[in-house]
Amino acid sequence: MKLRRVIQKNCIYSKQKIITFFITAAFFSFIPSFIYADYASEHEIDKNVEKKQLDINKKLSEPEITEEFDDDFDDEFEDEFEENADLKVFDPLSGYNRFMTVCNDKLYFWALKPAAKGYSFVVPEPGRLAINRCFLNIMFPVRLANNLLQLKFKNAGIETLRFGINTTIGILGFGDPAQSRLKLKPCPEDFGQTLGHYGMGSGFYMVLPFFGPSNLRDAMGKIPDYFLNPVNYIEEGYAVMSIKAYGGFNSISLHIGAYESLQKGAVDFYILLRDSYEQNRIMKIKE
Amino acid sequence: MKAFFSFFLCLLIVGTVFADDDIDYVEKLIKTKLDAMILILEKDDITQQEKESRIIEIISPLFDFSKMAKLALGKRYWPGLSKKEKKEYSDIFIKRLKESYVNKFNLYTDEKINYKTPLRVKKKIHFPIELISKDHSVTMLCKLYKSKKGWIIYDAEVQGVSVISTYRSQFDQVLRKGSIDDLIIKLQQMDTKSADSSNLDNLNILPSTTSIKTIGNES
Repeated sequence: MKLRRVIQKNCIYSKQKIITFFITAAFFSFIPSFIYADYASEHEIDKNVEKKQLDINKKLSEPEITEEFDDDFDDEFEDEFEENADLKVFDPLSGYNRFMTVCNDKLYFWALKPAAKGYSFVVPEPGRLAINRCFLNIMFPVRLANNLLQLKFKNAGIETLRFGINTTIGILGFGDPAQSRLKLKPCPEDFGQTLGHYGMGSGFYMVLPFFGPSNLRDAMGKIPDYFLNPVNYIEEGYAVMSIKAYGGFNSISLHIGAYESLQKGAVDFYILLRDSYEQNRIMKIKE
Repeated sequence: MKAFFSFFLCLLIVGTVFADDDIDYVEKLIKTKLDAMILILEKDDITQQEKESRIIEIISPLFDFSKMAKLALGKRYWPGLSKKEKKEYSDIFIKRLKESYVNKFNLYTDEKINYKTPLRVKKKIHFPIELISKDHSVTMLCKLYKSKKGWIIYDAEVQGVSVISTYRSQFDQVLRKGSIDDLIIKLQQMDTKSADSSNLDNLNILPSTTSIKTIGNES
């Protein structure tokens, strides 16, 4: 009797164990499929129509097709890229934009780059990195406000922690112990991203003098961010301008070569800049 | 018996989710190739050209260059080309692609690579990688598909910008107003080993072709 009871007890215990294991296993096996479903696109393809078009194209093309150049266009590939074409940039000001792109380019190659090269010769890289970190640290209110507006409270908390740690231990932001020691990564947000987060489209592509590629939404978003930037509250106007200009210049000196490398790989550099900017903004808004 | 049956059932369900051989294979493949590439980039005792040729040797099998050439033109333009045009375009485009990849690798300066877990998206695999440098991190995404030769990269995204789609829109812009020969000429004129001066003069960025002389060309 005792033995039976013991065995029954053990059986019940193992039954419970198995049921909980089954439930947790089912739970864990469903999570990846949800993520997968979220991540995958929901495009419906009319495969018959596509296939007919492919057949026609095949007949029109040369009879001898080597394996390398076969005309079989996988629908899945084409659809992946055509979906993104829906996000094609609306560009009514293309004449002005192209002109401004050339202006900014000349400004970079004629003025900014030679000066930045000289500057980077005089000031060693660790110093310039530290100055860059200081400027980034000062822009904390912009990031905090926009993270809160997007209801990203965890990121807002991380940003606050980073600011506190870097200003004190990192000595006014010249160091970044929050990232190097505590692995707290920055969460950059601006008002353009906030507007995009809540569904506002980018409007049209617009190249700003000095600032470079932008769009209607992001350019408008610079206005609220202006009031959140502590540098703008310094009394003397010329000091504000020169501080901001210096910050931008210092940042350029750290990335000499990136712009040139981008130009090297372009057939139509204006289109490349435009699409890269838009795709990059879309990614930043999503994350 | 019922307990054992349900236990095996759980194992089956869990097993099918976690035992994804393709993802493991892709992860190992890319990790070994990139680690080998970094070893070469960090070597000091060989010339730059030697480094470049070795890198091309290692990295080329990973990419499906002919597929990329096809996708860069897209369904709208590729089927309409003659065989000779296809070959000419593909050769020059693939050459430029390889050059641009090598240029990007030359910008490497002790970045740490953080491999994330690959994801299955429809029939393809997306492999996110993070390059952590001194002051910022760059997120990359390698997109692979299963070809006859195995899993192979057909596109890469850098900071959310898909390389193939940028070529698509550039080529679309050129082919809307010109022919494939114009595009081939532009690809040939692409100066991938240019000096520090601006390349925009060659790119005819303004609607009307005006020549702006650059002052102070540095070599």
